[in-house]
Amino acid sequence: MFSRSIPGKLRKIVGRDAVLDRPADLMLYEYDGSLARGAPQYVVFPQSTEQVSELVKFAAREGLSIVPRGAGTGLSGGSIARNGGIVLAFARMNRILEIDVPNLRATVQPGVVNLELSNALAPHGFYFAPDPSSQKACTIGGNVAENSGGPHTLAYGVTVNHVTGLEVVLPDGRIAQLGGNAGSAAGYDLTGFFVGSEGTLGIATAITVKITRLPESVATLLAIYDNVQNAAESVVALTSAGITPAAIEMLDGWTLRAVEASVHAGYPLDSAAVLLIEVEGLREMVEEHAEAIQALCRKSGAREVRVARDETERQLLWKGRKTAFGAIGRISHSYYVQDGVIPRTRIPETLAKIEEIGRKYSLTIGNIFHAGDGNLHPLILFDSRDADQTQRTLDAGREILEFCISVGGSITGEHGVGMEKQDLMCSLFTDSEREIMLRLRQCFNPNSLLNPEKMLPSPRLCREAVSPGHASLG
Amino acid sequence: MSSTTATRNAIASRFEGLLGSACVVSEPASLERYAIEGSVPGAVLLPEDAEQIASALRIAGEERWPVVPFGGGTHQHIGRVAEDADVVLSTERMNTIAAYDPGDLTIALAAGATVAQARAACAQHRQLLPIEAGAGSTIGGAMAVAATGPLQCAFGGIREFCIGVTFVTGDGLPGRGGGRVVKNVAGYDLMKLMIGSHGSLGVITSANFKLFPMPPVTATFLCEFDSAAALFRFRDSLVKSPMSPLCAEVISPAAAEYLKESEPRDPDSWSPNGALAPQTPWLLALRFAASDRVLARLRHDLASFTSQEIRAHDENRFWGAVSQLEKHVLARHPNAMFFQVSLPISESAAMIEAAEASATNFNFVAGVVGRATVGSFTVVFLPLAIDPPAVTQFAGAASDFRSRLSRAASAVVVRCPREAKHHFDIWGSTPTDIELMRKIKRALDPYSILNRGRFFVE
Repeated sequence: MFSRSIPGKLRKIVGRDAVLDRPADLMLYEYDGSLARGAPQYVVFPQSTEQVSELVKFAAREGLSIVPRGAGTGLSGGSIARNGGIVLAFARMNRILEIDVPNLRATVQPGVVNLELSNALAPHGFYFAPDPSSQKACTIGGNVAENSGGPHTLAYGVTVNHVTGLEVVLPDGRIAQLGGNAGSAAGYDLTGFFVGSEGTLGIATAITVKITRLPESVATLLAIYDNVQNAAESVVALTSAGITPAAIEMLDGWTLRAVEASVHAGYPLDSAAVLLIEVEGLREMVEEHAEAIQALCRKSGAREVRVARDETERQLLWKGRKTAFGAIGRISHSYYVQDGVIPRTRIPETLAKIEEIGRKYSLTIGNIFHAGDGNLHPLILFDSRDADQTQRTLDAGREILEFCISVGGSITGEHGVGMEKQDLMCSLFTDSEREIMLRLRQCFNPNSLLNPEKMLPSPRLCREAVSPGHASLG
Repeated sequence: MSSTTATRNAIASRFEGLLGSACVVSEPASLERYAIEGSVPGAVLLPEDAEQIASALRIAGEERWPVVPFGGGTHQHIGRVAEDADVVLSTERMNTIAAYDPGDLTIALAAGATVAQARAACAQHRQLLPIEAGAGSTIGGAMAVAATGPLQCAFGGIREFCIGVTFVTGDGLPGRGGGRVVKNVAGYDLMKLMIGSHGSLGVITSANFKLFPMPPVTATFLCEFDSAAALFRFRDSLVKSPMSPLCAEVISPAAAEYLKESEPRDPDSWSPNGALAPQTPWLLALRFAASDRVLARLRHDLASFTSQEIRAHDENRFWGAVSQLEKHVLARHPNAMFFQVSLPISESAAMIEAAEASATNFNFVAGVVGRATVGSFTVVFLPLAIDPPAVTQFAGAASDFRSRLSRAASAVVVRCPREAKHHFDIWGSTPTDIELMRKIKRALDPYSILNRGRFFVE
């Protein structure tokens, strides 16, 4: 039959060993880091921009949708083939194309792993600043799609602040250039517009990024609190005092104990919260800021402030933060991470609200987040085998995000909307605001064959979503 | 088409019915102030909110009347010669600081608020909104032209710290991107699309920004070099060093003439080949935010390059003069041609050589200021009074200069005599896909009424 010849035709484009179509193989591509799931019909591993263009043209002819995928570490269902079609997996487009130190740029293929770029830059004294917690696995193509952040984006900005040029394949197979290696280009800033578009506009096949000088000196501090509100107040105090650390991360007592049991990072087990604070830069400045931070934290109620004595201790403190989700995985069957953002002055009341929501739904909610940015990651523990608990979890997550919206915040700071938060886009944006976004998507992706049914909700979904309490897995 | 009184009255009365007569200016004498490169609009609307802008745009769309969004009017010289505006939409009544949360370091501003007003409000809380635009410039206008200045070295352009925008599309749909929080990936990044769109996609009605702590103490090191090449060799070591200046501004010898309080030496007395007297150096002004201890370190590291360290009053006067440079040049050379150049930083020295060569060939003298560590420069071609260039020589000089740059560089002519604009494309080339830009223009301005004929993609 015709459909049976599709894998054959795909193999003709990308090679015999670069197409998966057996159900057992496809199963591995049903997931990402979110709770959503969806089975692709084919998984294809292109090795060049030209192949991507050919694949996209082929899919358009066959009426198959295309879903680009990096490492599958996303947390919002962005890389899930929600209605079948072809998953384009970029594992084999993983070359660093150029490191251009004199111009402070690097150009990479989308499948390059975030940390591998920084490792390759290290001998030159540079690194790639956006550092999502999944940086050992996640790809720069995925970072571009989601506009990923990370702990150090407090000082250095998110992915979009570091991308100057893109080569993209459009859904009709055309290869288009956006921006370049200069800081800006005449005309509309389509590079900036494309970053964070969650694979709904085009497929980035080459990415030019800014590279950042490694700091001369780094100090990592651990401020320890008996009261989570005091920790939140320290964040407000630091922000108001005009100190911009490279990172301010918060872990609440429940979370840090879970982490400590797994990693032994050195977090004190009897505390209610810790702040992990990092300052970077000139040696003299780092020393001064570290002293000022210690004083400010103590003044706002820290019981103790420790300074990492050496690189090993520093790495250990960060290991606790960066592997926290894994540590939670040891003690709970499933967990649901939220990504709400609030003004930094509202952290104390929002933490209180999250605690209240946990009680209301009888759920354990841990908090680990980018406090300096007001970007919360409440972790709701549940057992996905229990339908009632799963529903309560989704409802609690929704209520947290609705609270974030009500205090002037947003539903996602760095994980993206994906499938997971589409219905919340209806409360966050008006009909006309969504209509404009839809028009813009149509400029690039008119038939929505590329990553269909992601990010922008259909008008129908918004009409149905007006009644609260209907959170679903998407 | 709008020049007849009859048309003018028809336009004005249509909008008076909609917005009330207090929001419509149609007296010829009052319209003068809103002239776009000498051409007086049919009517000026002074809407009070985004809703009024939306309804005005819907009517203009129905009638296909060209509309020019207007802030402080300080950058209306940018762009191709526009079709005469029937309607100017001024944001001057939308001039409030909508919300300022010093504890959160964020501010929400109506489009017609001036940059100076917003910066002053932030300064009261020792916070900084690092937007740099001329006196009288509004937030909406600074966004539309993607205004930049020396602080771009440390804070980036507006795109790096604008966290939200509202606007109205050409067909009257209210739009929004981002919000009030410093980190936000919900929906498309419409801030990026509106910044630098030169009023061609929508009328910006408000914008939100993240703020920065005001550096309590700063110092500026003036470093002098014999040549541009030597300056940029030093710059190459600077970007690899741990130093993070707030500003790293290059000032060429010709540009330095216009920093002085005294009357600049007339370029006519400069020899076009030898340029300036040999004693005038290339200047790199490095400004740092630093405590005494950090300053001591910087002073030590920069000792062999620094000719002078300035602080406090002298420092403020110096940077004030830098910000007035364009004004000083124009006072003396109303026909000067200004380029906004953006390029990979390793091409900086070659670009300056190219500018000097092209300028000389076409009876100009080239001056350069700009951000050495970013690759963003203002290049000015000063016409020689003794044998002034003809309008076609502006076109010739611009084309010649552009032809000497690499494909990665953009060189937009942001100011030149209006008559010269007919002879070449002021926008030049771009690496970015033109077809996509055209589609976006059509999607957000379907009747092509916004700044008709001025932008790139028309």
